[in-house]
Amino acid sequence: MTALPVLAHKASESLSSESKSESSVDRGAALTRPPGRPDNALFYKEYRHLSRKIWLRPLLAVIPARNEAATVADVVRGVIDTLGCDVLVVNDASTDDSATRARAAGATVIDLPLNLGAWGATQAGMRFAQRNHYDKVITLDADGQHQPRTLPLLLEAMDASKCDVVIGTYAQRLSAAKRFAWWYFRLLTGLPVQDFTSGLRAYGRRAVRTLASRDASLLDYQDMGVLMLLYEKGFQLREVQTVMSSRSVGKSRVFASWFVVARYMLHTTVLCFARVSVRRRIRARVAAAEGSA
Amino acid sequence: MTVLIVSAVIGFALAGTILYLVRRDHLHGSYAVWWLAVAAVTMLLATFPHIIDWLGSTLGIAYPPILAIVIGMAFTLIRMLQMDIDRSRQERALRRLTQRLAILDQELGDAREQIAKSQAGAIEPDATAARRQLHEVDH
Repeated sequence: MTALPVLAHKASESLSSESKSESSVDRGAALTRPPGRPDNALFYKEYRHLSRKIWLRPLLAVIPARNEAATVADVVRGVIDTLGCDVLVVNDASTDDSATRARAAGATVIDLPLNLGAWGATQAGMRFAQRNHYDKVITLDADGQHQPRTLPLLLEAMDASKCDVVIGTYAQRLSAAKRFAWWYFRLLTGLPVQDFTSGLRAYGRRAVRTLASRDASLLDYQDMGVLMLLYEKGFQLREVQTVMSSRSVGKSRVFASWFVVARYMLHTTVLCFARVSVRRRIRARVAAAEGSA
Repeated sequence: MTVLIVSAVIGFALAGTILYLVRRDHLHGSYAVWWLAVAAVTMLLATFPHIIDWLGSTLGIAYPPILAIVIGMAFTLIRMLQMDIDRSRQERALRRLTQRLAILDQELGDAREQIAKSQAGAIEPDATAARRQLHEVDH
C-alpha cells in the first residue's frame, strides 16, 4: 500500500508533462522525467483508462551498438542534449564496456544475450518502444557518423509531411561501389530511395508496430527487406538530406570486405526475387505518385 | 548368400540403433515417427533385397540397384529441405526470445531498483538489508 502515494504523484507529474507536449512544438522540452528512466508498468495499468493519447510517450531514440565503447557515450549525450528524449542503447552482445558507458551517459540499456546483428538489435528497440508506449522511434548508429543535430530535421520532416518513415540520407558519401550497388537495388526493387542502408531513420507508431512484428524478425539487414515490408504495408516514406561525419572509429558493417559485399548482394537479390509481387506493387505506387505530382 | 547376410546385418543394426534411440527419448515427436519408418523400410529391404530388383524390372530400369539410391537421395533432399524450414522457424523464435529476454531483463533491473528505493524511503533500517538481498540475487 505504501506505493500508492508514489503512483499518484507520478500520475500528476506525467499527466501535466504529457498534456503540455500536445500543444507545444518542442517535444523534447516537454519531457520532465529524467532520461532513460521509464516509469513502472503499474502506472500505465492504473491510468490506462485515461485517454490513449495522454499516456503515450513522445519519442525514443534507439541506438544499436556492438563494441562501440569509443563513441557510444558521446552519441548518447549528443542525442539527449539535442532532443531531450529517452535514449535506448541496444547492446548487441558487445565484448567491451559499451553498455556501461552508455548507461553512465544517461541511456537505458538492454543487453541482448546473443548477437542478433544490426537489424535484430534495432528490432529489439522497436519492441521496447511498443511495450513502453512510445509514439515515435528514431534510430541512429552508435559509431558517431550521424550527427545528433540533424535529428530534429527528421522529426520536422515527419510532422510536416505526415509520413510514417523518414530516412536521413547523405548522397555525397556514396563511393562508386555503393552507387553501383544501390543502382542495382533500385533496378531490382523499384524502390524510389536514394540511400538504402542509412541507419538514420525516424519511424511513426504504426511503422514501429509493423517492424516489431514477427514478419520482420527473419530479416538480416535493416535496408531492403525493411523498406520493402514498409512499402508492402502501404506506409509513406520520405528522404531528407542530412550531413554525416565520416566514421571516426570502426567500419561499415555491410561494406566491410568484398566477400561480405558479395554475400550481402546475393542475400538481397534472393530477398527481392522472393517478393516479386511486392516489387510490382511498389512500381505501381511510384508511377501513381509521379503521375499525381 | 553372403551378400544377403551382410545386407541383413547392416539393415538390422541400423534399425536397432534407431529403435534404441527412440526408446531412450533421444528423438522426439515427429522425428521419432520418421526414423521408425526408416527403420521399418531398412529391415524390410535387408530381409528381402529382391524387392528392389523386382521393382526395378517392373518399372523398366536396366540396373535396378540404382533405383534404391535414387529414392534414398530424393528422400534425403526432402528431409534436408524440411530441416531448413524448421531451422528458419526456430531462428525466428530464437531471435524474438532473445529480444524479449533483453527487454524483460531491463524491466526486472528497473523494478528491483524501484523496490529498493521505495523501501529505503519507507523504513530506513530495512533498506540496507533489502539492498544486500538484491546484491545476493545479482551474483
